[in-house]
Amino acid sequence: MDRRYAFEGIKVADFAWVGVGPITSKYLADHGATVIRIESHTRPDVLRLAPPWREGQPGLDRSQFFASFNTSKYGVTLDLSKPAAQELAKKIIAWADVAVESFTPKAMRNWNLDYEQLRVVNPQLIMLSTCQQGQTGPHALYPGFGQLMASLAGYYHISGWPDRDPAPPYGAYTDFIAPRFAATVLMAALDYRRRTGTGQFIDLAQYEASLHFLAPAILDYQVNGRVLGREGNRSFRSAPHGTYRCQGEDRWLALSVSNDAQWQGLLATFGNPSWGADPRFATQASRLEHHTELDRLVEAWTVTQEAEAAAETLQRAGVPASLVQNCLDLHQDPKLEAWGMFQYLEHKEMGPSPYEGHQFHLSKTPGELRWAAPVMGQHNEYVFKEILGLSQEEITKLTEEKVLY
Amino acid sequence: MTTPAQRSTLMAGYRMLDLSDEKGMLCGKIFADMGVEVIKVERPGGDPARNLPPFHQDDPDPEKSLFWFAYNAGKKSVTLDLATADGRAVFQDLVKVSDFVLESFPIGYLENLGLGYEALSRLNSRIIVTSLTPFGDTGPGRDQQADDLVLWASGGMMAIMGERDRPPVRMNLLQSYFHAGAEAAVGTMAAHYPRELTGEGQQVVVNMQACIVWTLMNEQAYPILHGNSVQRNGVFVGSTGMRQRTVFPCKDGQITLLLAGGPLAFSLRAFFKWMDEKSMCPQWMAEKDWSMWGPATFMNAKGDEVQKEIDAIEAAVTAFFLTMTKAEIYAEALKRRILLAPVSTVADIMASEQLAARNFFVPLSHEDLGTTISYPGPFAKLSETPLAVTGRAPHIGEHNREVYRALLGYSQEKLLALRIVGAI
Repeated sequence: MDRRYAFEGIKVADFAWVGVGPITSKYLADHGATVIRIESHTRPDVLRLAPPWREGQPGLDRSQFFASFNTSKYGVTLDLSKPAAQELAKKIIAWADVAVESFTPKAMRNWNLDYEQLRVVNPQLIMLSTCQQGQTGPHALYPGFGQLMASLAGYYHISGWPDRDPAPPYGAYTDFIAPRFAATVLMAALDYRRRTGTGQFIDLAQYEASLHFLAPAILDYQVNGRVLGREGNRSFRSAPHGTYRCQGEDRWLALSVSNDAQWQGLLATFGNPSWGADPRFATQASRLEHHTELDRLVEAWTVTQEAEAAAETLQRAGVPASLVQNCLDLHQDPKLEAWGMFQYLEHKEMGPSPYEGHQFHLSKTPGELRWAAPVMGQHNEYVFKEILGLSQEEITKLTEEKVLY
Repeated sequence: MTTPAQRSTLMAGYRMLDLSDEKGMLCGKIFADMGVEVIKVERPGGDPARNLPPFHQDDPDPEKSLFWFAYNAGKKSVTLDLATADGRAVFQDLVKVSDFVLESFPIGYLENLGLGYEALSRLNSRIIVTSLTPFGDTGPGRDQQADDLVLWASGGMMAIMGERDRPPVRMNLLQSYFHAGAEAAVGTMAAHYPRELTGEGQQVVVNMQACIVWTLMNEQAYPILHGNSVQRNGVFVGSTGMRQRTVFPCKDGQITLLLAGGPLAFSLRAFFKWMDEKSMCPQWMAEKDWSMWGPATFMNAKGDEVQKEIDAIEAAVTAFFLTMTKAEIYAEALKRRILLAPVSTVADIMASEQLAARNFFVPLSHEDLGTTISYPGPFAKLSETPLAVTGRAPHIGEHNREVYRALLGYSQEKLLALRIVGAI
């Protein structure tokens, strides 16, 4: 294919912050689009204020949390509360194919940068607005983060043990659901515009997108009156199925047996113990019925084992299994290394820092982490001079007036 | 059923062959919502994922899986046995008139049948083939197996989910497959866009383990930048050495509360003001300047001063929440802009006034079951080309006639022969 990147030539004005918006525009940036990330010292992205930081020392330009979601983008600073900055933002909009923002709905309106005003500047604009609960409705203006949305959208309630409080997923779970939907629909809107010349406005509520991961429970509640809860590591079709203690400090093996072949593989790995012939474990349905006893027997073996080696042996015997990998394990996982999951990029202030690679690979127009995340205003000169055509004098003046700030 | 006029036209005119099982079904569903004609290609007798619970009225029938309903609504279904030469020939005919192929077979399965990307692209150079793989298509994980549990474990999330005195634990409902399915939609669209400019398709490989790693948010860099790691600690967080509760009991359930100052201090102040109005806020909490209270100052705190503050807040907040229900607390938080949320059950979600105001849920008729079920509606609202959840999931082979006769132009005799030899 005679294109290097899938979205080369596409131009994006990225007003977004925190998780969902920046992750969405990152897909385009890493696949070749020119993405201008618009920030301001007057309201820094809260992720710049959040750890982990280089050497553990806070600083606006030291957060890997921010950096991971903002690769391959150009960074500019604009204090959008100032009319002159709003005019410059509109110049960026006139240049752009796509605008992305993720504030509570009134913010862009307050800056005179809502879709109704921006479409006047650029009638073909595609604008994606993503916030917690959507642009309309009684809860539209409610602020929030993915931790709260994960709780509101039902994910806390279904995480953990049935006899305990929820054991929530780490972090802002729904921030890693909504961008998958947002990026897909944004790319489709770009293709629609290519075919028809028509831009449009996209209102993506993190709440609504996230509920698609809960759909079977939503149907089950209506049809059967069942309120899905926590089930620990129990499975409806696999036994044994769980995480089992191994040798060492907090080392665990996850394994799962769903059919007779896997069961035979497990027994062979365990050295064909006598309990393998127990008629209670002869069929998958019977193993499901006796899963508690199986858990005990499996763990009696795993506690004598080193988790990583046991997982490898089980996999060779055809049994789905893995070390329960902690963060350090991930960085040393040969599978992830072969995929290119962690990559070091040279950041202007942080130096070489670890970034996540991609979750899908394209065979002919592969994306890549083109460069590290920008420090505050790193590309002010490039963007305002080379792309928008301002003179050096104008840029100096706007910087002094804290319009570029 | 919606009328044709209501159908999305965002991706009208494109066709996807969805061969995926539960690991990829959401991808096909997303494409169906965008207006793509998605044809589920099932083995004779039906996709094994039709055996996934829950079932309509708990009746384990392949035509009654609510799990299958949820992720196949709006698709068509044909049956086809790829293990037969006749079946493979039919599949090749389908590929010639399609734009996308989605599959989640073990790596090498389609290649061994002569239906890998290279072979399919010779039939149709525009074709995009999207493959979901547990650990990618190269390297030592290529031939390894994983289900939902193993993906959560190998992807790093389980190690930090659960409590110190129990094993690592996962979420319910096969969440890893949904991450991978939705990510497959992104990858497929990223291949589609250049295809429409160059006429050339390509292969998309989704790594399901990588999809879980991405959900770890900011965790991966801790060992490298801070020299420590996030620990599994139930409802407590503490990336900066503190132990801070995030989920609190209330009268009828639990509340999740973000307790942080700095840029979020507006919420703390509003919350403590509310407690103060109810005479339940310790004086020091009402008076303290919260503007700098957060991870950056915690990092450099001396002794256990901050931890003592956190513990005192926890005690006061717990007492306060226990006087009210989830609904009462959330309603007031909405008014006061306090960063909290109920720990919702699916019953709470179905009662959401916000979702109702936005007409989020879409009723779909299941005429054979004599019922109508509400489904999660479009995942986004588009001003020009609305997405649409258009109809219930198909029965096994419901569209065999339509696809094989009308689309492929097979004669009635050929259709009969294919059925007799067991190809469809």
